[in-house]
Amino acid sequence: MTATDTSSAADVIDRAAGLTAGDPLHAARRFRAKVVEATQASHDALIYEPVPGLSTEDRLRVAARVCTVAGATTLLQHYETLIANAADSGALPSPALPAMLRFAATLTTDPRQGDRAALEPLKAAGLGDAAIVALAQLVAFLSYQLRVVAGLRAMREPQGQAS
Amino acid sequence: MIRRNGFTDESLEWRSWLEPLRVDEASPLQLEVLDESHPQSRTSPYYLTLAHQPLMLRHRSAAYNAIMYAPGGLRRAERELGAMVVSVTNGCVYCTSVHAQRFEQLAKRSDTVEQVFDDPRTAGTTERERAIARFAIAVTERPAGLGPADIAPLREQGMSDEEILDLLHAVAIFGWANRLMQNLGEPASP
Repeated sequence: MTATDTSSAADVIDRAAGLTAGDPLHAARRFRAKVVEATQASHDALIYEPVPGLSTEDRLRVAARVCTVAGATTLLQHYETLIANAADSGALPSPALPAMLRFAATLTTDPRQGDRAALEPLKAAGLGDAAIVALAQLVAFLSYQLRVVAGLRAMREPQGQAS
Repeated sequence: MIRRNGFTDESLEWRSWLEPLRVDEASPLQLEVLDESHPQSRTSPYYLTLAHQPLMLRHRSAAYNAIMYAPGGLRRAERELGAMVVSVTNGCVYCTSVHAQRFEQLAKRSDTVEQVFDDPRTAGTTERERAIARFAIAVTERPAGLGPADIAPLREQGMSDEEILDLLHAVAIFGWANRLMQNLGEPASP
């Protein structure tokens, strides 16, 4: 998967929402092709853009935790698949991972809990400013991504069917 | 000027809890991404903080600008209404101030802003605005529970799939924007 491949098979939101080419909602998404492309490119940058002190494997672990906390089942499958296929999936997590997971879970469920003190455990665990920015972007992006998927799935369901 | 429940439509500043990038130490890529993100980003603590991860900022800005400013589809004032309702629901005072102002500029009125500050659950001067506000709250508070019953009121207002998607994007990206603003810094009075 690369940032330039925008085919449906590679588009994470299409797959998580169950959209395929030919589906009217798949076509409706392409009314905003720039949004589709930038969303997928954001996903790719969040996972693969090199950031000192933040491995791809730990980012995927954080992503999976956010999806679990938010009940985003199909996106969780996506991140679990990426974890299983990661080059270094057997590598030990960073000692900072527990602090990262706590930060991610809190921020996912209640963004009001964000305060200066919430960054201290991350700094104490050795994360620098670039890693903290990348972690905050990851969690914040997932809040967007999982809501787009949930909204698309709601739009796909026939009217009158129990949700 | 509207001030209620801790929210305001006055201009605020934002202070970073991290060290914003210094422009004189920025890489060529970081400068390029700053300049394509926002006209004032070289002096903005928010953009200078996000520029620590430049490719992410590039794609975030592209998504944000396409969602909030692209022509056609849902009226821009209605995208701003969605953004404002989410920001109030998430308690993001800074984002609320910015998008309350944008709504006022685009809609040329502020009655809905007062209502959203008072209680977003009942806000809206028309049934269409109320439907938009309720959808924004549902997406924000219970994404895993969204279903066709949350979409139906928007369709009853005559919205096409493309317009509903525009609203969904605007609402969802404030789940993103609010979390950055609330977790990397805080609002400050100018």
